[in-house]
Amino acid sequence: MTAESLLRAHDVSYAVGGRVILDHVSFELRAAQITTIIGPNGAGKSTLVNIVTGLVSGYDGRIERPADLRIGYLPQKVYVNTLMPLTVERLLQLTHAASKDEIDDALAQTGVGYLRGRQVRSLSEGELKRVLLARTTLGKPDLIVLDEPTSGVDITGEIRMYELIGELRSRLQCAVLLVSHDLHLVMSQTDQVLCLNQHLCCSGLPESVSQHPEYLALFGQQAADSIAIYTHHHDHVHDVSGEHAGHRHD
Amino acid sequence: MFTTSPASTRGTGMTEWLDDFLIRSLLAGLIMVAIAAPMGCLMVWQRLAFLSDTLGHAAVFGVGLGLMLQLMPIFGVLAVALLIVYSLSRVSSFNTALSETTLAIISHTGLAGGIILVGLLPAGTVNLEGILFGDLLATTPDDLLSLLLTTAVLLVILLQHWRAFVAVSVSREIAQAEGIEVRKVQFLMYTLIALLVAVMMKVMGVLLIAAMLVIPTTSARLFSSSPEQMVSISALYGLGSLAGGLTSSYHFDWQTGPAIVVCATALLLITLAARRLIKLAPD
Repeated sequence: MTAESLLRAHDVSYAVGGRVILDHVSFELRAAQITTIIGPNGAGKSTLVNIVTGLVSGYDGRIERPADLRIGYLPQKVYVNTLMPLTVERLLQLTHAASKDEIDDALAQTGVGYLRGRQVRSLSEGELKRVLLARTTLGKPDLIVLDEPTSGVDITGEIRMYELIGELRSRLQCAVLLVSHDLHLVMSQTDQVLCLNQHLCCSGLPESVSQHPEYLALFGQQAADSIAIYTHHHDHVHDVSGEHAGHRHD
Repeated sequence: MFTTSPASTRGTGMTEWLDDFLIRSLLAGLIMVAIAAPMGCLMVWQRLAFLSDTLGHAAVFGVGLGLMLQLMPIFGVLAVALLIVYSLSRVSSFNTALSETTLAIISHTGLAGGIILVGLLPAGTVNLEGILFGDLLATTPDDLLSLLLTTAVLLVILLQHWRAFVAVSVSREIAQAEGIEVRKVQFLMYTLIALLVAVMMKVMGVLLIAAMLVIPTTSARLFSSSPEQMVSISALYGLGSLAGGLTSSYHFDWQTGPAIVVCATALLLITLAARRLIKLAPD
């Protein structure tokens, strides 16, 4: 792969109160590539993402990124403040102004155009995830960071969500950094897998990582065997909330 | 501010209408409503309303300190409020620092220390009741000027950074990742809260500041569909509470600050009841 490099992490280490969270982690994100971070709970996945997005500072090592790198971010948990009136449309313009057409296009990409006027607090978890995924695509991002985009989404919705992320990458030609705990669903489009457990256990293409001894030690043979599950296709389409995509509610 | 005998300076010509204490109180009240609406909404969204309560209580200490040092009390209040918010924001986890216990300790120690300080001053120097519950009807032209200037500064900063403030209220994580400097924005927010307390204590008194930030906002939330709409509707509820409070204060000799708060709650209850009736009514 010779794609242009977007971000480089050199020997990034991070500790809180003497507890090591990240131990000399180095990797590179390239334009229009999908990188997936996998690892058990407490492996430091979210911390690594927060260092990339700039939320966490005070780490050792170095992050090399252009000052004007545009990031679209979908956090693992969005605490929906029920005290705050906020339509989906306004949520999409949270950090940058966007035209009506841009908003329509973004929502259409993830199939939630009909939610545009709805209050954010009335959305289901699956709907909220798709709205948040749509908003990461606004403002021509160079990098989309998705922290567990499928948490709270059922298995068929999960597969659809991964397909959607692949489509977005092709359309926007942006890099994607994805955090996942569901190893067997690391999708076929992933160009690079980073297997993290405080330190970087192994990295590379999904197939090679799944045969790596450290990966097998962490997740077991069963997980490695089931990695192909994403190639299984349904004969009908589900949306992210697990309902038939044909069904719309307004 | 807060002296027992406000020297009513006789204006001439253009400013003659300012001689009427009711006009001055009304203006001071309007200024307060203009700033309480946007700040109240932001503080409710960011769950900071009770920080204003703490700063209000501790402001009594600031008043005492200011008078002791022969400064205008508002400078003492600002100094104490700024000191508290900056110390709190230095603590690595600000949410832990904002725990009920920490806030209660600061709040009551500030109030207790302030009352001791005020007690040491020569009798008649300060109107303690005015500090605690507001003395809107004793607003002097000088008070009015300082209220107006502080509020203008606050409103300009709010307008300039509104998108960032709203973004941080929704999600600090998204805001930071997408290029907003969350720490700076929060720092600015705490400074604004300190200034706000200094402005609002004149009208509402230190014990009732949080009420004017929370009650009209709660009424407004019932109808709002956007953050900006919630601010406008809060301002309307604030106006209603101010009008009701001033009227009842004038006619029934109620204390103004408490009268405004009672009116704000009455409006909230009426709104809740009206909503219930409309929902129950067949279409």
